[in-house]
Amino acid sequence: MSTPISMTTPKVTRRAQTRLGIALISPLMLLVIVFFLFPLGNAIYYSFVDFDGIDPTPAFVGLQNYTRLLTDPEVWHALGNNAIWIVIGTAGPLLIGLAQALLLWKVRHAGVFYRLAFFLPYVLPQVAIGIVWGWIYDPVSGWVNKALQVVGLDSLATGWLGNPNTALYAVLATAIWATTGFVLIIFLSALRNVDGALMDASRLDGVNAVQQLVYIILPQIMPVFLMVTTVTLVGGFSVFDIIFIMTGGGPANATNVIGTYAYTNAFQLSQISYGTTLALLITALSVPFAVALNRLQRRLSLQGTGA
Amino acid sequence: MKKPASTRAAAAAAAILALAVTGCTGAAPDAAEKGSDGLRYLISQPERPSELDAIRSDLEEFEKESGIEVTLDVLPLENLRTVLQTQLRSGEGPDVFNYDTGPGFAGTLAEAGLLYDLTDAYQDNDWKIYDFARERVTFDGKISGVPTQLEEVGIFYNKDLFKKHGVQEPKNLSDLQKAAETFTAAGVTPFAVNDKEGWQGGHLFSMALSSRVGPDGMEKLLDGSMPWTSPEVVAALETWSGFAKDGHLPDSPNALTYDNGNALFYKGDAAMNPTGSWLISSLQETVDFEVGFLPFPAEDGPGIFTGGLGGGSFVSADTENPEGAVELLDYLQSEEHGRWQVETIGTIPAFPVDTEGLEVSPLFAQVIEDTAKIAEGSGEFGYNIDVLTTDTFNKTMWDGFQGILTGQKTAEAVAQDLQTASKQAAEDK
Repeated sequence: MSTPISMTTPKVTRRAQTRLGIALISPLMLLVIVFFLFPLGNAIYYSFVDFDGIDPTPAFVGLQNYTRLLTDPEVWHALGNNAIWIVIGTAGPLLIGLAQALLLWKVRHAGVFYRLAFFLPYVLPQVAIGIVWGWIYDPVSGWVNKALQVVGLDSLATGWLGNPNTALYAVLATAIWATTGFVLIIFLSALRNVDGALMDASRLDGVNAVQQLVYIILPQIMPVFLMVTTVTLVGGFSVFDIIFIMTGGGPANATNVIGTYAYTNAFQLSQISYGTTLALLITALSVPFAVALNRLQRRLSLQGTGA
Repeated sequence: MKKPASTRAAAAAAAILALAVTGCTGAAPDAAEKGSDGLRYLISQPERPSELDAIRSDLEEFEKESGIEVTLDVLPLENLRTVLQTQLRSGEGPDVFNYDTGPGFAGTLAEAGLLYDLTDAYQDNDWKIYDFARERVTFDGKISGVPTQLEEVGIFYNKDLFKKHGVQEPKNLSDLQKAAETFTAAGVTPFAVNDKEGWQGGHLFSMALSSRVGPDGMEKLLDGSMPWTSPEVVAALETWSGFAKDGHLPDSPNALTYDNGNALFYKGDAAMNPTGSWLISSLQETVDFEVGFLPFPAEDGPGIFTGGLGGGSFVSADTENPEGAVELLDYLQSEEHGRWQVETIGTIPAFPVDTEGLEVSPLFAQVIEDTAKIAEGSGEFGYNIDVLTTDTFNKTMWDGFQGILTGQKTAEAVAQDLQTASKQAAEDK
């Protein structure tokens, strides 16, 4: 039976180690307190008062903002759009990025060119992407409708961002285009750590490509897969900028998500407290998903599975 | 084992909050620095590039006269409304800016304490803004801005297309509907309606409603003595939903920007363009066909123009150079500047200007004559709703009108939403 290290370490050394530990983590803790915990506490405070952006002593309203949130039909509509965004906006880049990564995995010629080409949209500002894709979807001069006309599919041409049936999916397609490059690069890095010997052996055993993907590749890149899933999924909860730029939440709220609805209330209608409460809803909904996926990723890492 | 997990959870929570916070605030401008000597002046993108050049030259004149350096910022109108609010709230706003008047626009900024009180500046400089116009920028007894232009909202029409298709100028709503049917049958879009930005819907609704209920009816609706669920309101909304259903509007008008809608009219693809008199100067420069301007017709007559006040100039409450800002506003209201505004920019100032001897087109002369009646208080004019109501009401109206154009909402449902928003606004007062 081994003796715990703490029992054998002299008290003076333990104290010095403690001091060093505190000294090392204190800058980070300071940043966490100033930039994360203080704003979080502030946001919680504002959700219990009626702040219009000017009155320095807003009235305490208790749970009024929360009850309003629960009874506001637009919140549920926006949450529904968030759910669509989370499902398609997470699955889309993952599937397309994985497929692209598998195709580029063994590419030797011009591999850098392809990686750069696919990654480029990810480094572009969301605002620029939103504006340019707004032109692409333009019903009069946009090339999507023009292309449809050229190939004889005029009947499919529509005002993509003005049609309530297509607007959300048109913005989603843009977001998937912009995010896939990031997923591709991460998966490509993870694929480099897949056991080549195992792949060769499976080929000799007559395993087909789908079986290789399911039984060999995916288990080995699973923690990375989960990390990418976490990032894109949480992004789905807090999505704001691209929708705001491309549709502003319209037409007639058809593309409203909680982020755009929070902004409208806080900054366009001067209902800062209600907007803050909506922003807190994003936090409250996304944290359990982020933590659960994080724990799963950690468990898989401890089991020794993964890239 | 629990401790690291909870630390990560806290970090994740904080990170997500940070995402939410950064996503909902926007960045401060870095194009021009605020300074105590100079001024940052924000305007919306003019209709014509030449107009912007003229404004720059005009500001150079002011710089020479006053010795105050002015940095001009220009934003597209659709971005200006949201960007400006964010900038002002973060204390990074321009010193002087152009914005819409009325409680739903400047009133919201004044209520949030974001506008400089110009009451004393009015007295000190003896600014001669029309009384009705000054009232529209007065909030809680403080004059918060300087109205800059009078305008009319109606229907521009392509006289050549009307002649080609044998269509007469509509004398009533039935004539307008028949004209629309003729154009649709001929493959010409009757109305260049566009509503991507949302605010256009307020104008379209205002013109149809004003002609249906007249000035008195509009006043009753706005003061709450007539409900927004009245049959006349529903009928005005149904006029537009009917046009949409009958194919008299472009495909997906909610996807069309204001500029794109105008382009349809400029190109001759659309026969009529329902919008405001601010477009006249662009029309003069752009089109080679003859243009007429008529009010949205009433059921039993030619109808009335929706008229009143357009935008105004405002000073940020946080300006470091209030004296310089007031000096710029004073310059913008000189008699000489008023004549320049009429002749060069093609808009009508909100203060008396002697237009004798100025060279203007017959179309613009018609608008000058009409708006003079607004200033005098004579003649019948409708009201542009969005400059007289609250931001919550406007949002309801704009969203509702987009819903009308796509068929997402019925006229009755939108009217009910407007009534609810109106009641809410009255309770909030």
